[in-house]
Amino acid sequence: MDYFNELFPLMPELILATLALVIITTDLFLRRDLKWILTPITIFGLLLAGLALPIVWDTNDTVFHGFYRVDNLSLFIKGVALGIGVLSALFGPSYLKVRRLPLGEFNAILVFALLGLFALASASDLITLFVGLELMVMPGYVLTGFHKTNRYSNEGGLKYFLLGSFASAILLFGISWTFGLTGTTHLDGIAQALGSAKVSPGLLVAIGFLTVGATFKAAAVPFHYWTPDAYQGAPTPITGFLSVGPKLGAFALLIRIFVDGLGPIRADWLAVMAVLAVVTMTGGNIVALTQSNVKRMLAYSSIAHTGYILAGLAAFAAAGSGKVATQGIQSVLFYLLGYSVMNIAAFAVVGMLQRDTHRHGGIGSFAGLARRDPWRAAAMAILLLSLTGIPPTVGFFAKLYIMIATVDAGLGWLAVAIALNAALAAFYYLRIVVTMYMREPEDDPAPIDNAAAGNLGLLLSVAGVIVLGLFPDTILTLLQRTLGTLF
Amino acid sequence: MNLPILSLVVFLPVVGVAVLIAIPGDNHRAIRWVALLAALASFAFSLALIGYKTDGAEFQFVEDYSWIPAFGMRYTMGVDGISTVLVLLTTVLSVVAIFYSWGPIQVRVKEYYASMLLLMVGMLGVFVSLDLFLFYVFWEISLIPMYLVIGIWGGPRRIYATMKFVIYTLVGSLLMLVAILAVALAHGNATGDFTFSYTALRGFGFTSGLQALAFIAFFLAFAIKVPMWPLHTWLPDAHVEAPTAGSIILAGVLLKLGGYGFLRFAVPLLPDAAKTYAPFVIGLAIVAILYGALVAMVQPDLKKLVAYSSVSHMGFVMLGVFVFNMQGLQGAVFQMVSHGIVTGALFLLVGVIYERTHDRTIAHMGGLNGRLPQYAAVFGLFTFASIGLPGLSGFIGEFLVLLGTFRYNGYVAAVTTFVVILSAVYMLWVFQRVFFTIPSDWMRRFWPHLTDMNRNEWLAVAPLILLVVALGVFPGLVLHLTDAPARRILDAVNGANGLTGFTLPW
Repeated sequence: MDYFNELFPLMPELILATLALVIITTDLFLRRDLKWILTPITIFGLLLAGLALPIVWDTNDTVFHGFYRVDNLSLFIKGVALGIGVLSALFGPSYLKVRRLPLGEFNAILVFALLGLFALASASDLITLFVGLELMVMPGYVLTGFHKTNRYSNEGGLKYFLLGSFASAILLFGISWTFGLTGTTHLDGIAQALGSAKVSPGLLVAIGFLTVGATFKAAAVPFHYWTPDAYQGAPTPITGFLSVGPKLGAFALLIRIFVDGLGPIRADWLAVMAVLAVVTMTGGNIVALTQSNVKRMLAYSSIAHTGYILAGLAAFAAAGSGKVATQGIQSVLFYLLGYSVMNIAAFAVVGMLQRDTHRHGGIGSFAGLARRDPWRAAAMAILLLSLTGIPPTVGFFAKLYIMIATVDAGLGWLAVAIALNAALAAFYYLRIVVTMYMREPEDDPAPIDNAAAGNLGLLLSVAGVIVLGLFPDTILTLLQRTLGTLF
Repeated sequence: MNLPILSLVVFLPVVGVAVLIAIPGDNHRAIRWVALLAALASFAFSLALIGYKTDGAEFQFVEDYSWIPAFGMRYTMGVDGISTVLVLLTTVLSVVAIFYSWGPIQVRVKEYYASMLLLMVGMLGVFVSLDLFLFYVFWEISLIPMYLVIGIWGGPRRIYATMKFVIYTLVGSLLMLVAILAVALAHGNATGDFTFSYTALRGFGFTSGLQALAFIAFFLAFAIKVPMWPLHTWLPDAHVEAPTAGSIILAGVLLKLGGYGFLRFAVPLLPDAAKTYAPFVIGLAIVAILYGALVAMVQPDLKKLVAYSSVSHMGFVMLGVFVFNMQGLQGAVFQMVSHGIVTGALFLLVGVIYERTHDRTIAHMGGLNGRLPQYAAVFGLFTFASIGLPGLSGFIGEFLVLLGTFRYNGYVAAVTTFVVILSAVYMLWVFQRVFFTIPSDWMRRFWPHLTDMNRNEWLAVAPLILLVVALGVFPGLVLHLTDAPARRILDAVNGANGLTGFTLPW
């Protein structure tokens, strides 16, 4: 029975692990024309794991001798991750089908990546953290190179793998310094040790390596160089997943390391985080302005979004403690939720215009979309307005939340930076709207993928973007309950 | 009777949009009627606001519901005299613009009317919001439909113009958002009551530093919208490229959002900063009045001329607001209403000739009086209203503002009065060139096909003719409503001490 108590809070993880194995084995025995059934199986499994989340809500306990913590913060992240999983499973199939890419492997790898994300979110020890991180990013490398006969996909996968491994090594090096200086790998142990210690040069080295490693994963400027190539090369629905899944994981990592572990010395990493935030949002936006490939543009814009989220983390650090600090983390989580929904769907629309396998997501394929497919154009327009941050969408409220947190924490200048950057971003997001609504279609317009699963995913995302933007209160209350128990 | 009048006024156009979506796109007739009826319904309910009691509570028709309690954001609506007047202006001009569009707009009709109706929602929402957050949401909502209207149905350089319009506006409004947050959080942290409620935040003594910075942010947002020199450069581009109805709404209502923002938010919330920076704003307003008039004089394009005259006339509004006396404030509100009607009508009339010749170059016209006498008469009426001839609405606003300015400073009044002559110069001169000189060879080619104003054009412009005369003869219709709000603004400013211990270089 002791095993039961240990394993009970891991119910969602166990469901996911089982799901991945079920997908692999079922895939072996399915006839080619029945492979589609893997999609409903995957979604069913993910929803089942989602049902398990409320059951273990308020556990707030560590298992495996303090190596794994199931708290509400981790459960919130897991919930968002499952949403990402469902949308990915909906957007993926038809794109893969026209390119003759295996659906079963896609679904299984996706579920493994989510499992890694789960572990990362729940890590209460640097070792678990690293294992979870690798379990999350390894499938990412595979997925990027998933289109193995396409050289862009190969290039993206290789770059992602090399730079990702490099970043992991740097992170690991930082972890080893932290262990050496504090004598423990438990995050709360590290926090205790740091609470009394003075900041030594060695600790600064540790913080430095941890920051570089973690922001590498989150794709912050100047550690973002892998992002555009990996995002452009990967099959488009997978790019959608990569732009939100690993990003969610990277911020779970940042929260675990910097809030749980290095929280006591937040005054020492505040400046780094704030500067990184501004450099990242500005850098991402400025480079995005010059892109004519929509996939690449969205890749750079996702870098800019990293910058906004980092600002929320800086708000946590600047606030010291109490409600205002909690608000910083809440704003980060809300932004991650909103960003996940809108960004994955935006990439999905790009993918739907690539039914013809020779299309690479140039902005021309959007020309006159409003006439050819008014509903899809309207959906994309709403997603882009949300990414810009125009009310009443979730993107607006997410940005607002980050701004509230920064202003409340006394970082008004950071809020101004976000405001100016949002105006800058409007320029390139609206350029797509211009192309869709104000230009004539090309002579041989890109065929549009009209698969039911993808349309359902798009409908869900757009509904989510608007409903969460108009009535964010449910999520806000949930977040307050999530973090009320933490600090 | 407890009808949520304001919600109905604001959201009835949304019902119209929902119906439009259900109609097939090629049924233009049904689409036009639905759009017009939705706008008329909103207008009909807005007429109920005439029942505003000037001796009653400050804000009437109040609706107040919880919206996002986690941050103290509420759905609070209500109107005082100023918003009543502007809501009515908006519904009237929207009906006119939508009705006028029946003829000119022949492509993508459904999207067009949906955009126009959504635009109405945003503008009306701004005028009735009493929660700063709600206000901001409507403020941004009004941006996107106009962006589409200019970008899809506009002229050759429409994409450049519409992007410029959006980026300018967004920069200002996002900075304003930061200021709104800073103000609300400062109030919340001091009192423990986290709210965006206008009535709660007004009169709270914000520190000088916060007031200065927040005022600059509000100023940028509103001054871009007004637009004040030197932030006006988006306006001529937007007007020239916009379709006629877009120009009517842009000049008639969207510019008023800026003026309203100053009257409702920037000045009463941050009176110390407003008082300190008033001379600076007045200086910019004088430049705008002069510059707009001078540049209007040399425009070869009829529509651009009217656009630059807007810069000049809106300068009067800013001047009236910031001289801080009753005449100035009342005049500013009146000038906003009058400018909305007169310039809206002028853009409509420019559209009338453009529909016939697809050209707006003044040099190409001439002698139109002989061929289009009705058109010349109506154009003449609004020319005189724009110059400020007594008996028409333009006179009252300018006269009151000048009166207020004289009380503020005689020299400033002398300079600005001189500009009234300039406005006569450019308006009369253009009237002469368009209607009285010998027709150009270019125009002669159209001569046989030129027809005078048709029934629909008359119907569209008729309400504006009525209003411009009625308000010119009975200015009290507006002034009795704006008296109490103007007094309140004045009290807020008179009670302020100006910024202390914190001054910026200017």
